[in-house]
Amino acid sequence: MGNKGFVKHYYVMLLPGMIWLTLFSIVPMFGFVIAFQDYNPGLGMLHSEWIGLENFKYLLSLSDSRTVFVNTLVIAVMKIVANLIVPLVFALMLNELRLAVLKRWIQTVVYLPHFLSWVILSGILLDVFSYKGPVNTIMSWFGAEPILFFGRADLFPFLIVGSDVWKEFGFNTIIYLAALTGINPSLYEAAAIDGATRLQRLWNVTLPGIVTTVVLLAVLSLGNVLNAGFDQVFNLYNPLVYSTGDIIDTWVYRTGLVNLQYGLATAMGLFKSVISFVLIVTSYVLASKFANYRIF
Amino acid sequence: MKIMKKSAAVTLAAALVIVSACSSAKPAEGPQAAGDNAPKDKGAAGAPAAAADPFGKYESTVTINIGKEINPSDKTLPPGDSSENNQYTRYVKEQLNIETKNAWQAATGKDYDQKVNLSIASNDLPDAMIVNDTQLRQMLKAGQLADLTDVFNKYASPAIKSIMNSTQGLAQKAVTFNGKMMAIPNVTTESDMVHIMWIRKDWLDKLGLEPPKTIDDLEKVAKAFVEQDPDGNGKADTIGITGPQSGGLIHANFIAPNNNNYGFDPVFSAYHAYPGFWLKGSDSKAVYGSILPETKQALAKLQDLYKKGLIDKEMSVRKDASEPIKSGKSGIWFGMWWAGYGALGDAIKNDPKANWQAYAVPLDASGEFTPHMGTPSNKFLVVRKGYEHPEAALKMINLLLRDESKLDVKVSLDNYPLRLVYAPMDEMDVTYKMLKEVLAGTKKPEELDLPGYKLLKADAQNVKKVKLEPYDKYDIQYWDPMADLGVWKRMYSTFVGVGALQKPFKKTYSLTYSQTKTMESKWATLDKLEKEAFLKIIMGAAPVDSFDQFVQEWKKQGGDQITAEVDEMAKQ
Repeated sequence: MGNKGFVKHYYVMLLPGMIWLTLFSIVPMFGFVIAFQDYNPGLGMLHSEWIGLENFKYLLSLSDSRTVFVNTLVIAVMKIVANLIVPLVFALMLNELRLAVLKRWIQTVVYLPHFLSWVILSGILLDVFSYKGPVNTIMSWFGAEPILFFGRADLFPFLIVGSDVWKEFGFNTIIYLAALTGINPSLYEAAAIDGATRLQRLWNVTLPGIVTTVVLLAVLSLGNVLNAGFDQVFNLYNPLVYSTGDIIDTWVYRTGLVNLQYGLATAMGLFKSVISFVLIVTSYVLASKFANYRIF
Repeated sequence: MKIMKKSAAVTLAAALVIVSACSSAKPAEGPQAAGDNAPKDKGAAGAPAAAADPFGKYESTVTINIGKEINPSDKTLPPGDSSENNQYTRYVKEQLNIETKNAWQAATGKDYDQKVNLSIASNDLPDAMIVNDTQLRQMLKAGQLADLTDVFNKYASPAIKSIMNSTQGLAQKAVTFNGKMMAIPNVTTESDMVHIMWIRKDWLDKLGLEPPKTIDDLEKVAKAFVEQDPDGNGKADTIGITGPQSGGLIHANFIAPNNNNYGFDPVFSAYHAYPGFWLKGSDSKAVYGSILPETKQALAKLQDLYKKGLIDKEMSVRKDASEPIKSGKSGIWFGMWWAGYGALGDAIKNDPKANWQAYAVPLDASGEFTPHMGTPSNKFLVVRKGYEHPEAALKMINLLLRDESKLDVKVSLDNYPLRLVYAPMDEMDVTYKMLKEVLAGTKKPEELDLPGYKLLKADAQNVKKVKLEPYDKYDIQYWDPMADLGVWKRMYSTFVGVGALQKPFKKTYSLTYSQTKTMESKWATLDKLEKEAFLKIIMGAAPVDSFDQFVQEWKKQGGDQITAEVDEMAKQ
């Protein structure tokens, strides 16, 4: 690595990524000035009237703001926790399977939903959980009254988290499986010779072997905590479940694009970005402390 | 011979090049010119400034980039044609020498609205597009619109002017700001404003029931539809009353007063409740219909109906409310006269015996039908500031109004670029009456070439293709939809849908159909508050008395201020 010419190639390889990042992530960031303006698209960002913190004041006076913020946090935290635990447990279980063909087959099947978009999946989900859909039919065999699942505010966050886990756990499992293959097999052999049962081997060899991966993923997902999943919520919600299902992103979308209140929507978006930024910095500090993960 | 012909052609071409070059345009179409006729010469002779002919053909091609609304379920385009290249766009090219290009296209309804919003927000506008009132005001505020005052005065065809005049200035008023005309308004027929009840009459007959008249009848019939297996498949799978789909409106409102299919508008008006409309209160001050006790009463009834399972359990969660209608699972819904153009076209394909009939009900306590009315102008043609040929857009509208009936009606009119509906307020009523006369033999199609009533003559010529004898009965067995589904859609809508409106009824208008200043920033919040509160009450997620809390919130969050503004506006 001491070779200077070699390093130059690295920079060249970095170039497309940097250009992409600049064009699509850094340049659009200047749009945040709209949050401080009475934005007029005809005049543009440079000439619109400055109104200071007016948008933020109005935002804070709205009861909606608290609701969407809490909803976003609740849904996102639930998603992060569930998306850590379910794939981990599943990976451990797969790892114990001795039949390689079956293992691979299961792996393929469970990660298929990852490739379908929420537009398609939402249609399927709404049907499956509809009034006369399969779920209600099965429940009726046990004498339960049919439930309008996607019309129930109390159930909505769980449906959102549940369906997200269902869609993604197969894919997330792969990371754990990769970490598992990194464990030195001789440790298992040594443990077996020492007379460890399967459960003891799992507890004393497997888990410590992947704990850094788990911590790393947990910490990294903190930066994502306010992304509760626009696509998914947008395709599944309706006014009945706004009280528990409306998240920052869907609110910003409705306010900005449907109701044409650009300033207000941007203010909320900026609000979200600032909090996300704090969380990312925190998670980075935590990651370097606990998982020895460093970029700089 | 050959040489002579050739040289003549060359001379002609050269002459044309010179002529058209003189009139400040590109020499675009030498070879095509020879086949063209009168309007071409007329155009070529005059300078552009003098050529204020509403139907004048440009001598060099004018390109217009439009934002296009497309209907994704439209299957009427012949193979090879597209929304950008079809009989209508070719007709516009041939008649006016205007080339239409789709700057973008989006599906009818929500998608299109959002695409327009995005265009406005990013200031990346097509040369022309069709927008609604909110968008028009937004564009006006942003200074994105071309002033169309002169363009309209010079280029609007007499037919358009006369139809606009038939609204007693309402259409003109909707687009005039500071004395300038900033858009071209549409004018829709009055029938488009009234919401009526559609019902499966074959189900009624099977169960031995009469069409409902009052709210109580409605409840009885819906109950029978749900419980007595009207479709006879042995399963309890029928829906009484279809409700709005996900994202749909429970009731129409002053911003979107027309064309609210699957809402409960007639149920509300039976209680003299006009939610979403601005009314004159007892003290003759403006008051918002959604916060009045009548609305609470209607909501209580709707909640009751929903609780009893008579309204679609999945209303507002379902992605497409028309689906159970098309598949023959639903028995009642509230909507527009033009249902034939909508869900019924598919319903009839799935079940030729589905006898959907329309009635102007439910009636109020004193036996009157008391619907709320809309506004004749709810869509606007706007032209981007700085577009070189603002009159081109208007000419396309002129052309459609003049020649709509000459074009092949089988290809959905949605494909016309920049389509704006122009109908005299009484168009459908006149059509209904005249066609009845045609069927009765007292009028001949040739007599019906009335100015302004663009489709009447064609309708009269076509009606017998799909209408079977006896001509005065409109149940489905007296029709032959498959003979020509395109014609059937219009005729069935006219005889059944418009037919239902041929009795006098009490009309209620909103004090305003456009937004006030404070609404620009606060209406979205209030609107959300209302939609959420009403939906929760109807679907039983909140008690009826939560209505009172909604009223308090609504007033506090800006409602009172807006009411004062509307009151002020209404006084002017």
